[in-house]
Amino acid sequence: MARSEKAKPREKASGTSEHVQMDALAYSSRMLHWPPLGKLLLVIAVLIVNIMTESVITSLVVMALGLILMAYSTNMRIPFILGIFIAEAILILVIACGIISINGDTSQPCIWSADFLWMDFYMTADSFNEAWLVMIRAIAGITMMMAFATSTPIPHLAQALRQIRIPDEICEIIVLIYRYAFLLLERLDTMWSAASSRLGFTGFKHTMRTTASIAVGIFTSSMNLADKAQVSLECRGYRGYFPIWNRPKKTGIGWVAIAVVTFALLYILGIYTGGVIDFAGLAFGV
Amino acid sequence: MDFKYILEARDVTYSYEKKEGSPKSLSEVSLGIRPGIRTVILGANGAGKSTLFYHFNGVFRPKSGEVLYRGIPLCYDKEVLYQLREDISVVVQNPDEQIFSSTVEEDVAFGPMNQNLHPSIVEGRIADSLFKVGMEDYRYRPTTQLSFGQKKRVAIAGALAMEPKVLILDEPTAGLDPQMSQEVMEMVDRLCLGGTTVVISTHDVDLAYAWADEIHVLRHGRLIFSGVPEDFFSDKESVALSGLALPHTFSVNRSLEGIRGLPEAPYPRTNSQLLAKLSPPEARFGRIMIRGIGDGTPVPEDDGLTRGIYGFRTRRMFRDNGCRADIYFNAVEGCCLSAMQGRDTVLFCDEELVDVIAGRIRSVSEFGRIPEVVL
Repeated sequence: MARSEKAKPREKASGTSEHVQMDALAYSSRMLHWPPLGKLLLVIAVLIVNIMTESVITSLVVMALGLILMAYSTNMRIPFILGIFIAEAILILVIACGIISINGDTSQPCIWSADFLWMDFYMTADSFNEAWLVMIRAIAGITMMMAFATSTPIPHLAQALRQIRIPDEICEIIVLIYRYAFLLLERLDTMWSAASSRLGFTGFKHTMRTTASIAVGIFTSSMNLADKAQVSLECRGYRGYFPIWNRPKKTGIGWVAIAVVTFALLYILGIYTGGVIDFAGLAFGV
Repeated sequence: MDFKYILEARDVTYSYEKKEGSPKSLSEVSLGIRPGIRTVILGANGAGKSTLFYHFNGVFRPKSGEVLYRGIPLCYDKEVLYQLREDISVVVQNPDEQIFSSTVEEDVAFGPMNQNLHPSIVEGRIADSLFKVGMEDYRYRPTTQLSFGQKKRVAIAGALAMEPKVLILDEPTAGLDPQMSQEVMEMVDRLCLGGTTVVISTHDVDLAYAWADEIHVLRHGRLIFSGVPEDFFSDKESVALSGLALPHTFSVNRSLEGIRGLPEAPYPRTNSQLLAKLSPPEARFGRIMIRGIGDGTPVPEDDGLTRGIYGFRTRRMFRDNGCRADIYFNAVEGCCLSAMQGRDTVLFCDEELVDVIAGRIRSVSEFGRIPEVVL
């Protein structure tokens, strides 16, 4: 049957895990070519100031900044599975902050209290405000880190670490872990499916036994893989370090300035806006 | 320097365990690889093929015996080994063990960067080797997103980028679908035509029989045969003891000639050779027209004839222009068979290969009638 070369069916990519999706996202990011060290400095500066100030406004600004960068980086296309993970993280935060809010200082006036089984819930204006601050800070931190993660492949991060004089050995290990983690995950996936098809997960006892066997299998596989990788590296003229062909841009003084200025602006904003938003007042009128 | 073998093993013995008396993976293996000769190391699983390959590029050091490159015994000094591995590239069986980098171009650049080449040369080699394996569109893709076949091609590109004098491929078609296998073999064929000495290990007897000029057969770490494939496959007992089977073409030839009472020789290795040998004189063949594709060649118009394509440049032109092709893989053989079935067939190939391919098709006449070749 005649067919054109263009009609040749494409092969299915082998890895489709969320890690691979994250990787694909980073490589297709519009911020891929921004200097990784510059991005890292900016993110660290913003995260530090986010923790340092007591202002919800600052955290909201950081969150907005993170969302904008993430939207720009991913071109508003976050894979569904990653969206689920982010939502899951936020849900955990909400629960954690709920716990903070109901563990108020009992020497302060109560705005809400309740008894449930053996537990006493005691919410104060301070604990309520503290819970909101922690939650917004944490979500802001997540958005900033996601903006960085969705735009910086691990090899670029390793390159950034090299630039700040992190020892080569550590950078090489990061790159190797990154590479082989995918392979081991694929193997884990295969072993898991094979175990499932042999009824390895029927009941608690079987599940425990199978999981332990898989863990041992993965460990021995990793040793085996390391041996073979060593031989392959030698076959390809490995001389003790991984040369990088496509070096990301170097960080100029401009990026340091951006990080410093952003830090300073957010810090000043934090000083002048501390306590501006009173969540307890808004919610309970106290 | 004058040498008969580009690579030679002399009484090589190797064991993975250090203890005395432990089982030997290679036992007194002596063989030579001649430059420019298509060589296959044949053997069942665990016969010692991969172990032998790692001796050729100095990764393994024989417990006894020696390995020679261009007639000189290997020196296991670090710098000398680096130099040796620039000349002798091994592509391992599982591409996942060979691909380290996160993107395709990074991985292909790994070898040339280790050779400390100038970036402009590295750039050229990346582009060239990816083009040769048909992966230029995947250059910036993460390696984690590639299929097994694509990874295999990237692994071969990584070896080609080092421009080795000897390319050793460990089971190059293992795990590949038939089309991809044909594509890889075409790539290997093209490299041979370009002057690279290619050595392949396999247990695929059909592939070995059709492709090799010379085979070396290993069994339980011992060399049991060196020579032309027909001599080995004529000895049924040795074939069976080696855990192998007779190639399909060889068996069919033997059976048919047994029925007809004619001599087995000459031994056809491909289907077209077999068909040429068996075709009656009154059979009506079509013609094979060979058309060279150069850099400035206009896109060929579709004349409705059966079309085959061969070569990197031709493949790319057909793909880029969405041209129709009926025979993608193993096209020289495919076009021969098509013409033998009475169809006029056009074989498009890279310009510089026209004479070689015409010669190859005409050489089928050794077995009987062949289609008319029109240049």
